[in-house]
Amino acid sequence: MDFLAPFTIAFVMLANADPELMAIIQLSLGISFSAVGVSLAIGLPLGAILASTRFPGRSIIIVTSNTFLGMPPVVVGLAIYVLISQSGPFGWLDILYTPYAMALAQTVLVLPIAIALSRQVFETLNNEYTPLFKSLGASRWVRIKTLVMDGRIALITIALACFGRAISEVGAVIIVGGNIRHFTRVMTTAIALETSKGELAIALALGLVLLAIAFTVNIASQILRRHFKQAGLDV
Amino acid sequence: MSRPAPKKQSIASAANLCITRNHKRLLNNVSLDVEPAKISLLLGHNGAGKTLLLSLLHGLIKADSGTVLAPPRQQQRMVFQKPIILRRSARDHFEFLCPGLTEEAVAQWFAKAQLSHRIHSPARQLSGGEAQKLALIGALACEPKLLFLDEPTAHLDFEATRFFESQIRSANKAGTSILMTSHNRAQAERLADHIIFMDQGKIAETATATTFFKTPSSAAAKLYLDHN
Repeated sequence: MDFLAPFTIAFVMLANADPELMAIIQLSLGISFSAVGVSLAIGLPLGAILASTRFPGRSIIIVTSNTFLGMPPVVVGLAIYVLISQSGPFGWLDILYTPYAMALAQTVLVLPIAIALSRQVFETLNNEYTPLFKSLGASRWVRIKTLVMDGRIALITIALACFGRAISEVGAVIIVGGNIRHFTRVMTTAIALETSKGELAIALALGLVLLAIAFTVNIASQILRRHFKQAGLDV
Repeated sequence: MSRPAPKKQSIASAANLCITRNHKRLLNNVSLDVEPAKISLLLGHNGAGKTLLLSLLHGLIKADSGTVLAPPRQQQRMVFQKPIILRRSARDHFEFLCPGLTEEAVAQWFAKAQLSHRIHSPARQLSGGEAQKLALIGALACEPKLLFLDEPTAHLDFEATRFFESQIRSANKAGTSILMTSHNRAQAERLADHIIFMDQGKIAETATATTFFKTPSSAAAKLYLDHN
């Protein structure tokens, strides 16, 4: 097979919207969107609270979250595997080798990013706004509401960063998902498998889709940042 | 530090305030009374402690020792030297500064500040002068009993300064007590009823504006007036 042949087949598969390929892409997007949604729902308010208030245990949460930020995905995958396997404490959930387990793994990987980035955004805002908050005697609730409201633009770029991390994840999801065809096979795990089998066309096709997603996310992030900076809404 | 209401003849007062940072005494045993329904002006060189004293009286920071007596927080407002502007429209920023006004009242305040054409603009896109005007009308609209102004016209042009001074006078006539810092001697002479002159973290002199500018009693004030 010449060097370009897999590329040609990959383009043909994409152009024909190969059903198996589309199913893999759909599952990947579904799992990553769910993980990002859950991470943002938990991470953003937590980031705002960590940035604007002092309470016992705050440092522990920050250190734990920062530690998870640098945690290798395979270790996260292994830890979740142990927890949700039949003999683990959460074995009763019966989610091992299902998309739920994969979404859980991605959430654990993405949540620290959501917390760290949102805390950074909210801290910048909080430092800037604190004299005004104090001057007006703003309650804690008003402070957090204002930070979230005014940080909303930066939060879009945080969501994109989280999505970029989630969609490209492979180590953890392959451990807890098992890469089962038509059930838990996502883009990254399929690429790993197909490459090891020598089926470069499918791997390349999925690689191109991942690349396109990464490009789209980055371009969207840049455009949004520029637009909001011009509107004076950047943080 | 307690913040009970001050004694009757003053709207706010401080007693024996001290602040030390990095082994430097920034405020040294400062005591003062802010006269009610008057425009009092804190005058002095850079680093004399004017902004620090204003922040202490408004409750933004705490002193190492001493007491501050001031009206309740809802009855005070402060306009900062560099306005803090939220990331939202000018209208919504105004609402944050002074919630609960009717649309008509809000429109009137914007018209008064000649900002009607900017009411729906992002507040952070306003020019420095416009942003400072927004901060002032946001403070005045709440009809505070005590208004702190930290060099509010330091970066403003002649027109904006004139607007500020006229609004300050009107608010004062309506009963608002004003404590303001300034470097500007001419402005002090135009506005102030009372001068509190600060030098190196201490109050060197307090007097009516007329007395202060005609016959200053402290050596520091005389030197200051000689050079300004």
